[in-house]
Amino acid sequence: MKTRRSVWLAMFLLVAVLLVFGSTRTGGPQTQQDRIDSLTAVLACPTCSGESVFVSRAVAAESIRAEVARQVSAGLRTDEQILSYIEQRFGGEVLLVPRATGVDALVWALPVAALVFSIFLLYSAFTKWRGNKPESPTSDDEQIVARALNTKTDEQ
Amino acid sequence: MFASAGISGTVGRAFLLVGFIGAVFGAFAAFTGARRNDPQIIRLIPRFSTLSFAAAVGAFAAMEYAMITRDFSLAYVQKVGSWSTPALYNFAAVWSALEGSILMWVLVLAGYTAAVSFWVRKRMQDLIASWALGVMFVVSAFFFLVSFFPANPFAAGAPGVLDGPGPNPLLQNHILVMFHPPILYLGYVGVTVPFAFAIAALITGRVGEGWLVATRRWSLFAWGFLTFGIALGSWWSYEVLGWSGVWAWDPVENASLLPWITGTAYIHSVLVQERRGMLRVWNISLLVATFSLTILGTFLTRSGVLNSVHAFSESSIGSWFLGLFAVVLVVSIGLIGWRGDKLRSPGVIDSPLSREAAFLANNVLFAVFAFVVLLGTVFPLIIEALQNRQIAVGAPFFDKLSMPIGLALLTLMAIAPVLPWRKASTETLRQRLFWPAWCGVAALVASLLLGAYGLAPLLTFTLGGVSAGAAMRQVVLATRRQGWRGLVGRANGGMIVHLGVILIAVALGASNSFSKSQELSLVANVEASFSGHTFELKDVIEVRDDRSISVKALVLVDGKKIYAPAITKYTRIGMNVGTPSVRTSLTTDIYLTLEPPVRQDANEARIKVFIKPMIIWLWIGTALMAVGTVLAAFPGRRRKPTDATSAPVEVAAS
Repeated sequence: MKTRRSVWLAMFLLVAVLLVFGSTRTGGPQTQQDRIDSLTAVLACPTCSGESVFVSRAVAAESIRAEVARQVSAGLRTDEQILSYIEQRFGGEVLLVPRATGVDALVWALPVAALVFSIFLLYSAFTKWRGNKPESPTSDDEQIVARALNTKTDEQ
Repeated sequence: MFASAGISGTVGRAFLLVGFIGAVFGAFAAFTGARRNDPQIIRLIPRFSTLSFAAAVGAFAAMEYAMITRDFSLAYVQKVGSWSTPALYNFAAVWSALEGSILMWVLVLAGYTAAVSFWVRKRMQDLIASWALGVMFVVSAFFFLVSFFPANPFAAGAPGVLDGPGPNPLLQNHILVMFHPPILYLGYVGVTVPFAFAIAALITGRVGEGWLVATRRWSLFAWGFLTFGIALGSWWSYEVLGWSGVWAWDPVENASLLPWITGTAYIHSVLVQERRGMLRVWNISLLVATFSLTILGTFLTRSGVLNSVHAFSESSIGSWFLGLFAVVLVVSIGLIGWRGDKLRSPGVIDSPLSREAAFLANNVLFAVFAFVVLLGTVFPLIIEALQNRQIAVGAPFFDKLSMPIGLALLTLMAIAPVLPWRKASTETLRQRLFWPAWCGVAALVASLLLGAYGLAPLLTFTLGGVSAGAAMRQVVLATRRQGWRGLVGRANGGMIVHLGVILIAVALGASNSFSKSQELSLVANVEASFSGHTFELKDVIEVRDDRSISVKALVLVDGKKIYAPAITKYTRIGMNVGTPSVRTSLTTDIYLTLEPPVRQDANEARIKVFIKPMIIWLWIGTALMAVGTVLAAFPGRRRKPTDATSAPVEVAAS
């Protein structure tokens, strides 16, 4: 089985190399449309809570989409600046993604905490189970078995 | 209020009352009969379930009758009925708003109760069946009551109304509205059955494996319909909503996904209980969670506390559902606490490298997934309560967190199917995973050759390849040994379901990462091109019917066929609805939408083109999941009762 092990090693190396190669290449430069779509995807549609401007066909979303398109084709502002400009212009909380500051950060932190906690639970369960394993029979146990076997043979 | 409603209103409401009385008497008979162990009383149970079901059918038929005859004396018909709605959509209009959808819940639940009492008719003396039916009667009574009072579909409307707006335009332009809600409800309401048996098992103290095996097919049935219903909803979203996506993570979608997640965890972990007698508390908790999440989801989405595209108008039913949710939790947790000693499992899990440990890991991942979805859905409520501030938690949040969970689940799907029960050596694993791993390498190489890039999609394709290899290995080994029987049973059917899931994961990975889009301003008879395809505007036409005015852009794609994305103005409601037009193929979909503003007389139009790879594989994967679920429901080859529990059912690994 020595050869198998080296084949596995080679396979892992191959996969790692291919993944590195694949994750460094890109699908060409970002187009204006890509920028518009990714910006509108993180903006909340003001009249339909829970949906993004990208998803919604509501009139309010339509006008924000048009504004983002104008800003992107003007090409003067960065993504961050466009988002804060939209926030100023349309007012209120426009982002669809909770921030990572203040209480809002809980929405990011709690899932991680839940994962860590449940992995800890799993780990402690396995340690407990390992401790619970039946031990090897003591001499008392062996005597009981021997006695039981003897009575059985006696009866026959 | 009662008198002024038309004849179908009066009849319908009377049916609801009869159904309620039937359910109350049924619950009474079931509980008393079970407590006294009195066969005379127990024998009455099926009559009450038949009565309730007949009454529910009557009420639903009365509502359909009112809708079909356009009985505008009813407030509900005034809200969603219209003379101009085509017959099919008018039929579906019954479940297009809150009151009607609760009525459908009543119908499905009463149907399940009748079906279960028919199923156990010969085993009625088994007290677990009586207790379970009692629980189902209680839940039915609750829903009859909700439909009778706060969500009354038969309430009289304002006098003198002769016509209405019809259902929401989005619910009258695609045939899937006929199927998505009823099928989803078959799943959503169906989880009541295993829940009722879990409660009955707790009450009787018979928490062994018997009731699990008995209700396995009911759980599978509900889970299958939930899966299928969710997939049909995604398909509807893709075909109708015009943003080219299948899942928007809106609260109602999440409300259907949550019980699906815990239900999926259950149908995996229940195998550990059947095989090893372990995880009893956990499995009962999963069933309780699944059922209570359907109630909580209904509360969140039907009470108006959260808004979404699906959300129906505000009403007082919120407090009813919150009350039921609280009762379910208190009763279940109380019972679990009371039976704690009997639930304690005898066995241990020997090794982290075993089938049962893999199921445990699966459950941890699904539990975290459910937590993420629930947290994201209710987080805006929490912030509003704490700081009186509005925030939104949308798709980017869910996408970001569900991606690593999905990849971890794919990894598990690659390894778990080859793991034996009890304990595996790394040597076994190396041997059994050898060919599946090469499948993964092949998938990676193929996707790189096709031009894929980016770590997450490439990992998805690689892990998808390994998982598919692992699933195929199981199916091939089983069929080689048992012929066609190697395709049925839960292990083998489950692997077919896995293959469907893998197709969906790969299709989602590809379509989320490699979609391209572009807005094109087309001028008549001038070819424009994008991403290797050509688009030529042939004409802009107007189509009128009694409901609406549609403007359609006729676009010739690749010089072959004309596609007609449209914007339809529903004149009664004054709402514009865009309708995409899609060219589907096995590799790529071309998705066209017409962008406002539109002028019918113009010789130009603005369209948006989405090029989306592999979309069709989402639906093929769904079909495969459905097939696998049906195969899993057939009895597979069982281990002989005399064999050791560690003996393999299927072929021993090479």
